[in-house]
Amino acid sequence: MNPAVRYGAIGFGVLALGAGVFFAPAYLNAYLMYLLTWIAIYAIAGTGLTVLMGWTGQIALAHAGLFGVGAYATAYLAGHGWPWPLAALTSSTASAGLGALVGLPAARLRGFYLAIATLAFGELLHQAFVQLTPLSRGPQGMAVVPIQLDGIDTPSLVWYLAMVILAAVMVTLTALGRSRIGRCLKAVRDIEPATGSLGISAMRYKLLAFAISAFLAGLAGAVFGQLITFLTPDLFDLPLLVIFLVQLFVGGVNRLSGALIGAIFVIAVRELLQSHVVSSLVPALVGSGQTLAFGLTLILVVRYLPSGLASLPARLRSRRPRPATLSPME
Amino acid sequence: MAQQVISGLAAGSSYALLALGLVVTMKTTSVPNFAMGAMGLLPVYVIKSLWSQLHLPYGLAILIGIAAAFGTGWVVERLTIRHLIGLSHFTTVLMTIGIWFVLNSSVGLLWGYEPQPLPSLVSGSFNLGQVVVTNAQVMTLAVGLVIAGWLIVFFRTTWGVRMRAVAEDPLVPRLLGVRVATVSGLSWAIASSIAAIAVLLSAQASVLNPQSGDDLIINGFVAATAGGFSSIGGAVVGGLALGVIENLAGAYLSGAAASTVALLGIMVILLVRPTGLLGPGTGREV
Repeated sequence: MNPAVRYGAIGFGVLALGAGVFFAPAYLNAYLMYLLTWIAIYAIAGTGLTVLMGWTGQIALAHAGLFGVGAYATAYLAGHGWPWPLAALTSSTASAGLGALVGLPAARLRGFYLAIATLAFGELLHQAFVQLTPLSRGPQGMAVVPIQLDGIDTPSLVWYLAMVILAAVMVTLTALGRSRIGRCLKAVRDIEPATGSLGISAMRYKLLAFAISAFLAGLAGAVFGQLITFLTPDLFDLPLLVIFLVQLFVGGVNRLSGALIGAIFVIAVRELLQSHVVSSLVPALVGSGQTLAFGLTLILVVRYLPSGLASLPARLRSRRPRPATLSPME
Repeated sequence: MAQQVISGLAAGSSYALLALGLVVTMKTTSVPNFAMGAMGLLPVYVIKSLWSQLHLPYGLAILIGIAAAFGTGWVVERLTIRHLIGLSHFTTVLMTIGIWFVLNSSVGLLWGYEPQPLPSLVSGSFNLGQVVVTNAQVMTLAVGLVIAGWLIVFFRTTWGVRMRAVAEDPLVPRLLGVRVATVSGLSWAIASSIAAIAVLLSAQASVLNPQSGDDLIINGFVAATAGGFSSIGGAVVGGLALGVIENLAGAYLSGAAASTVALLGIMVILLVRPTGLLGPGTGREV
């Protein structure tokens, strides 16, 4: 395609998308906006997981907790008079630090030991939300001070915030993925034993991937606090971890677009299960039914579609299905 | 102090049992089974229903429940794990997490989230110096040690050797006429039964709720990690030590300390000695 036409088309697409994002609150009802914002927030967190689990091939089960760190720390700092953007950035940086800390064993641990360590770390964070009552108010929950900007109502502001962050993250990570750093991360995944002789420090890149993904989890958590307006520890426990995993693997673990596709999928499934039709048929499905549905989805995706929904068209086109493998761990 | 050690040993015995279940699936199918606690949880709820709703004798209910656990392990292996033989831990970890949540939320849907009491098989207590020891604690500890001893013997029998061979390399045993599928199914069935006993013993000491399995799985991982996921003795020592430390922390520091000791412990163990305290220093495959 002629480059001028191509860039024109891309520019037009970006403009149309921007206009859609900008005018959406005026035309869509409040509940739909709420769901769309939620999707954007999960997509931000999901891109971080794509970098860590997809590109770098490190399994990490602490991100529900790190998401909570972003939400709680931002709410705490903003509650003590910090401006919201500064509070969010500080909290996300703290989350990145914690992510690097839990990633420290990653340099030495084989896959499933890392899974255990990160699962324990996520639970430790959950325990901290429950028990550090002076900071988090424990199980009673903590109200979030809403962000204010003249002329815009808070829900629309949160939507713009989430979409701007998502767009910035997508552009930055796309560039990162094509850069030397991105190729090094993928080298750590694919040919880790050889990285040393290529002058790539596998440990440094693993820590970088952990820090990036924890930062994005924290940042997404900060925005999530504004959406949900009231934080309780159980929001950041194991059910959220399963949602993140389903999101990641339904969308496709290696692509950034997978994070967005997965986010749409998990929110859509949740709404479907909560809808009047389903909940009047099977009342019990609303609570643990969601976890059941997500657990089943995870099993089915790992078993039959290890590259996610995004790979479905390619799989259908190719006559002979590829052998089912995820990215190698060891 | 001695009182805390006794209750710690009893609690640690269920951690050790769950860890033994983890060691069995790891040794034979090389799968780190995050669903182990949930696989033990379901049969214990079956036991509870058989006893409280169908009014079966408790001992009979337990036997049927353990048979159900055997079946659960077999079915789970047949439906999911068998298709993943030879794939990386990345895949199997995710699969077992999925199984964990399916089993746990099914239990929640079927039986609800109210804590349920379970009776103990034995009652009464005796004094050992100034320390009160309940017979239930003695039984818990004894069951743990007996199963550990049985496993050590079992891994030396023909079936045990087959299991270890399959873990080493699924292809060569097949060439030698070992039915890999049967061996792998059997190991999951055995592991699941051991997990059910672990959940049963720990629920008898407190209450049974759908989280019972989750509380055990982290502690079981700590104990199994202490033994490097391959040593039966290491898993038992690790489990008992964790139970004692947890109880001492609860008594002398705070209740919060007790619940974080395992979580901190596993981080420390993995940072200091990633292959487990007693485990072999295995090399990495290139």
